[in-house]
Amino acid sequence: MFSSGNVTARIFERQIGSPPPGASVNRARHFYENLVPSFTLYDVECPDHCFRKFTEDGLFLISFSRNHQELIVYRPSWLSYSTDSEDNPPPLPRRASKFDSFFTQLYSVNLASANELICKDFFLYFHAHRFGLFATSTAQIHDSAPSPGAVPGVPSIDKITFVLLRLDDGVILDERVFLHDFVNLAYNMGVFLYDDLLAILSLRYQKIHLLQIRDSGHLVDAREIGYFCREDDELFLNSNSQMMMTQDKNKQQSLSGNREDDAENGLHQSLPNAENSFLSGIKQRLLSFIFREIWNEESDNKLRVQNLKKKFYFHFQDYVDLIIWKVQFLDRHHLLIKFGSVDGGVGRNADHLPAFFAVYNMETTDIVAFYQNSAEDLYQLFEQFSDHFTVSSSSPFMNFVTSHSNSVHALEQLKYMKNKANIFPQFVKKMLVSLPFSCQSQSPSPYFDQSLFRFDEKLISAADRHRQSSDNPIKFISRRQPQTLKFKIKPGPECGSADGRSKKICSFLFHPHLPLAISIQQTLFMPPSVVNIHFRR
Amino acid sequence: MMTPGGSGRFRPLPTAMYAGYSGTASSWVAKTSVSASGKRIQREMAELNVDPPTDCSAGPKGDNLYHWIATIIGPLGTPYEGGIFFLDIIFPSDYPFKPPKVVFKTRIYHCNVDTAGNLSVEILRDSWSPALTITKVLQAMRSIFLKPEPYNPALPVITRLYLSDREKHDEVAKEWTLRFAK
Repeated sequence: MFSSGNVTARIFERQIGSPPPGASVNRARHFYENLVPSFTLYDVECPDHCFRKFTEDGLFLISFSRNHQELIVYRPSWLSYSTDSEDNPPPLPRRASKFDSFFTQLYSVNLASANELICKDFFLYFHAHRFGLFATSTAQIHDSAPSPGAVPGVPSIDKITFVLLRLDDGVILDERVFLHDFVNLAYNMGVFLYDDLLAILSLRYQKIHLLQIRDSGHLVDAREIGYFCREDDELFLNSNSQMMMTQDKNKQQSLSGNREDDAENGLHQSLPNAENSFLSGIKQRLLSFIFREIWNEESDNKLRVQNLKKKFYFHFQDYVDLIIWKVQFLDRHHLLIKFGSVDGGVGRNADHLPAFFAVYNMETTDIVAFYQNSAEDLYQLFEQFSDHFTVSSSSPFMNFVTSHSNSVHALEQLKYMKNKANIFPQFVKKMLVSLPFSCQSQSPSPYFDQSLFRFDEKLISAADRHRQSSDNPIKFISRRQPQTLKFKIKPGPECGSADGRSKKICSFLFHPHLPLAISIQQTLFMPPSVVNIHFRR
Repeated sequence: MMTPGGSGRFRPLPTAMYAGYSGTASSWVAKTSVSASGKRIQREMAELNVDPPTDCSAGPKGDNLYHWIATIIGPLGTPYEGGIFFLDIIFPSDYPFKPPKVVFKTRIYHCNVDTAGNLSVEILRDSWSPALTITKVLQAMRSIFLKPEPYNPALPVITRLYLSDREKHDEVAKEWTLRFAK
């Protein structure tokens, strides 16, 4: 801990004393208190693109063209200029206050073709190889025709294409197409990247597609979880039933047809989706886990039967009707799966609906744990080990994203909310809504580190979201000197907008390690957005 | 596999709507007969609760008395060990004069279960007697796990393997249990 706030004094201190073991990065991050993006360039002249985000290593700024067809990638660079002015600090020359002096365009690639559009809320970064994953899709059809194997009530998209691209040079490496399917692309909700493993959740067909991103840049199918659990289950079943069928047929001819039913059944068997009487692989695992739990709860035979009747058989159909809403990796072998009713998987306000969490081991194909979304024990895990849920890529900056299990300040706030909550189960539900986490949804910027700065989380936070913006600047206050305002971020035009009534939506892109941020403010009626650049002069 | 009344789990339905899974039941069912079969099923449920057979349990699905779910834990020492098998039991409206229909919801490799999961054993066909109860049916189902009925097969292929090469049969059945019934 530095005793002084003065940057020169801090550098001296750093020279003469070493930080506690293992805390050198934390100590170094304290310098961010001195280096803040406090200078704002208002309404910067810039290309009219949708700016998506900085990659977590800060190497690229991802943006899409307004017509959602092209990807434009910029390299952030530090502003440099020369001036002959005597003033200190010298005023910025006009030519320097441009978008181009902060960002250099690397390339622009057309990703979408014909009737497809880039999904502007979707982007995943594979840090190890600097690959980017993008998605394009055709329009969503809400009243889609039911098709075999599809969950009724889930909308359909004719074509979703995932594009893997090498960000260094913009070369498209591989594509994966999903037809007449539905993947929730908004804020990466339906897709999770862990190391080189990619989980894509098809809501419509209730399948978790597990893909591996190879070093060569190929997307390789690893397995599918849903109707079957193991990658060769379908093959196993088909080869088995084919054997049964052919032999059955031979038999039939000799028996001269008094067994027509069996032949029909045999024919249905060849299409595993045509008959829905069997439980799907994941449902069988889930139900047998719930069954075992209730069975083992009680050792007395009679009470056990009563228990099962009330807790299991009565709700059996409800459990069967559950669909997978969202999935995340916990590690390379375990998935955290959220189950709920069909209405909640697509609808926005699903908080009040009952939902369940299951931990699934892909290797053993076992359900390891199962909780309802009001379960206190799951909440306790969430409170104490939140970092284990927010697992993400190997980028070093990501380890410093504030959570209530690595920051006392965030924990304090959570406890305050917990004590304020009237109905505890409702509070638990509200908190657990964030599970499973959306992949790469948090900015690793040090200005969101709650051990360094304090700010109003309603107005701004590390979470990658659009927010309603007000005309007041957002204050970042030093955590350790509670009275000291370190810097302000003000989206929108300098003097506030003329029309104070129209709703304004704002998004912030913070560079992961430089004191550099972009704020984009849009009004509802689509005049061009106002882009401000915040940086340290 | 939809049953009338199965969709109405959350609201009470008139009793007459419960009646009739099978095509044999006429569309009009006398109230007296429905409640008679209903009473009988209720009595059997009470009996089952008092003395449940080993490794078996069953109960009505939702509030539909005519549609039950049964669970059989794969008996130790059989290739079905480690599996949890779920079954649909559907009572006809003229129960107990007609046998209940039993369908596996869990895939199983067994010579008495066809590829769609329909169970065919003697007591649910020709040897059905109105004196039999759900407890007896559960016991019979558990016993085919221990000892299949090869002379009354639904899938002759499996029977042939069972009779000719028991070891191979058990191996395959074990693999099925591991894959589909865990």
